[in-house]
Amino acid sequence: MAIRSIKNLKEFSTANERFEGAHLLCPGCAHSMIVRELMNATDDNLVISSATGCLEVCTAVYPYTSWDTSWIHIGFENSATAVAGAEAMYKARKRKGTLKDPDAPVKFVAFGGDGATYDIGFQWLSGAVERGHDFTYICLDNENYANTGGQRSSATPIGAHTSTAQAGRVSYGKKQKKKDMVAIMAAHGAPYVAQLAPNKWKIMAKGFQKALETEGPCFINTVSACTTEWKFDPKDTIHITDLATDTLMFPIYEIIDGHKLNILYRPKTVIPVEEYLAAQGRYKHLFKPENKHVIERIQKEINEKWEYLQRREEAGV
Amino acid sequence: MAEKMELQEVEVWDGNYAAAQALRQAQVDVVAAYPITPSTPIVETYGAFVANGYIDGEYVMVESEHAAMSGCVGAAAAGGRVATATSSQGFALMVEVLYQASGMRLPIVLTVVNRALASPLNVRGDHGDMYLGRDSGWIQLDAFNAQEAYDLTLMAFKIGEDINVRLPVMVHQDGFVTSHTAQNIHPLSDDEAYAFIGDYKPVEEMLDFSKPVTYGAQTEEDWHYEHKAKQHRALMDSTVVIDRVFEAFEKKTGRRYNRLETYMMEDAEVAVLALGSTVETSIVAAKQLREEEGLKVGVIAPRCFRPFPFEELREVLAGVKCVAALDRSCPMGAMGTLYNETCGALATIPAEQRPLVTNFIYGLGGRDFSVEEAKRIMREQKGHADVGHITTHIQQFSGLRGPKLGFFESKRS
Amino acid sequence: MKGVLATDKRGVRELGAEELVGWDEVTHGVVLNSFDLEVENPAFSRPEERPYSDFNSYTATVASWRVIKPVYNRDICIDCQNCWVWCPDTSIISRDKQMLGIDYDHCKGCGVCVEVCPTNPKSLLMFGEAEDPEAALAQWPEKKKKAKK
Repeated sequence: MAIRSIKNLKEFSTANERFEGAHLLCPGCAHSMIVRELMNATDDNLVISSATGCLEVCTAVYPYTSWDTSWIHIGFENSATAVAGAEAMYKARKRKGTLKDPDAPVKFVAFGGDGATYDIGFQWLSGAVERGHDFTYICLDNENYANTGGQRSSATPIGAHTSTAQAGRVSYGKKQKKKDMVAIMAAHGAPYVAQLAPNKWKIMAKGFQKALETEGPCFINTVSACTTEWKFDPKDTIHITDLATDTLMFPIYEIIDGHKLNILYRPKTVIPVEEYLAAQGRYKHLFKPENKHVIERIQKEINEKWEYLQRREEAGV
Repeated sequence: MAEKMELQEVEVWDGNYAAAQALRQAQVDVVAAYPITPSTPIVETYGAFVANGYIDGEYVMVESEHAAMSGCVGAAAAGGRVATATSSQGFALMVEVLYQASGMRLPIVLTVVNRALASPLNVRGDHGDMYLGRDSGWIQLDAFNAQEAYDLTLMAFKIGEDINVRLPVMVHQDGFVTSHTAQNIHPLSDDEAYAFIGDYKPVEEMLDFSKPVTYGAQTEEDWHYEHKAKQHRALMDSTVVIDRVFEAFEKKTGRRYNRLETYMMEDAEVAVLALGSTVETSIVAAKQLREEEGLKVGVIAPRCFRPFPFEELREVLAGVKCVAALDRSCPMGAMGTLYNETCGALATIPAEQRPLVTNFIYGLGGRDFSVEEAKRIMREQKGHADVGHITTHIQQFSGLRGPKLGFFESKRS
Repeated sequence: MKGVLATDKRGVRELGAEELVGWDEVTHGVVLNSFDLEVENPAFSRPEERPYSDFNSYTATVASWRVIKPVYNRDICIDCQNCWVWCPDTSIISRDKQMLGIDYDHCKGCGVCVEVCPTNPKSLLMFGEAEDPEAALAQWPEKKKKAKK
């Protein structure tokens, strides 16, 4: 196990990057911030799978790869299963003594967007977690199918405009609430489940390390602000993410062994959600008088969720 | 270390058990599978081997066939021997990943127990699933009985994993008729079987950390075509290795396999072309017709459905007067696959050597195909041969209730 | 700085400028090798020490995506590494806890590094792509005074 020291950012910055530039992700994309941080959090060898999506189509376009570690992409839905297969092969070959370097430490990591995780790959992820493969699944949650031009996913929050849940004269955008994937994964009894954000780099790096160190299947939902589909200036990715965590739109917390909940970040001042919504083009229509009720509903649900999380934490069960 | 199993010189196994034994003897590193009728006993039998210490590899029971093949692809890219089993709807669910496996050149072995495709739902054998796989870039070997299912499964590893092939291989057998019918099997001992296949040789493996590899890159119009062409070439060229492995297996066991099997074709005037258990039915019918009625009937059967034995087929059919291609899958708006492959091959030989070619659709959803029906078809072909043209519809449905169903007639002027 | 930052291979090709080889020369199974030679775990080697293959995007450049670029002012920088941790393009070059500069072969000019820079004035500022770095440094703003309450 070669978990890197992350006492402070200076120390963290001595990592030797294994995710290379000249990938094709949009300027300001949070995906690569998250991926870099995961890879820099450990010195172990990595076997990584990626679901079809922004990360995949932008980091392995023949004849280029941006990965300095073993990497595989099969389809949209089976990132978890791809890495689970590799993990099973590792166990078999270790037992049989056919690995080239049997002592080399290795971690298995699967990436998927919210489309791959919440929607099309839901069953594959559920199966791999239930079987107990030793891997970490990281969802890069940008709340839409960004790779194909911004269609709704079950991670899209209520009120957001997407190309398949449009805001218009008679519509305020998506009508349904975001699926609570963290709760669902915790309900699998996974040993470590968390929701993290790249603006809180240290909490995120520690969460990644915890997941990598924990034996068994771990799930992390990361908020990945999408400059293209959320419609904000690329330079503002971290600012928008700050608003996401400080309005509690994205609370940062972990759930251990399926039940014990710890809140990992408490904003000093909780910002009204309006500020977060107003900073993004996808919520622009909510500020029309007839849609004000949606903002109120979003705020109400944030408050209720935060109350729930705090009570869960206090209960300590 | 896995325990070895003492086998008798002759065992009584059905096709499923035979396939499971071959997987055990191959010492597969990862079996990722999901059960489906009628291939379920392959996975169950293998599970019993796991539970009793006969398997060192991983046995991953996933939540769907799509995940089964996905797990197989991930495992194979990690540099070891991989196999699974499926049928019908499960095969259909796997299809997306079948193309991924072959495109990545991963030599996975898939034992397919052929079964009809819904709708309507049906658990019995036909070749709908086998035909669904025909453009997927896999080598497709077809067993006509349980012994062959065993033999071909062993050989599938040696063929697919050959450094000059590196392609996934399907071994087909007919649902129930082959998979659930016990017969005498002559197995190899565990040591002999493993020695025949040999150790797996990793290529571009994800677990060699000194050489990081990227699997599954995106290609668009400037690269995709070249990769697909290269893959097609590899499949075409695999015939050399298939032939070599068949020869080596004959040396070891005395059992001879050919990419195109021919029976009684030396002097045949008419022939039928078929796959699966129908081949044995047809052989019995042909023998009876030869003995009882003096008809010179032969039987042709592609052992290797992909790559298709184009040259061998046109060679054996040159000079034959009439051949019926029997397709156990409904072509839905076209002629059957075996008919089309046959006509394609025959179009390249001189016109005067070309037989008449007819097409029968038969046995869908496990409808029995009897010796009597095979004989009727053979006699009918003899009738065409005698008058020099096809006197019936070119495509007919055999064994179907209701009014006679047929399509297209010969153009004679 | 040049000795550390410059490697023979980084950013040598525009994307799409690679040679289009025939079917007989494309890689087996569409597999791409990250390196030409066997390597130790790259987590223990610096980019400039690695035997990058032509398939590694490290050898490509996306500089042409940029219309504005960050310019780095060493004199003000406190090496906090905020820019390093949040750069989406692996384009902040840090060695031994020190920020050395910007990898202009891989920087797409998103401006995140400037936004997250905490110094006053900022140690990174965006300028037009054509701006001369010396000229940019010459027009660097003064420290901003805190607004009186």
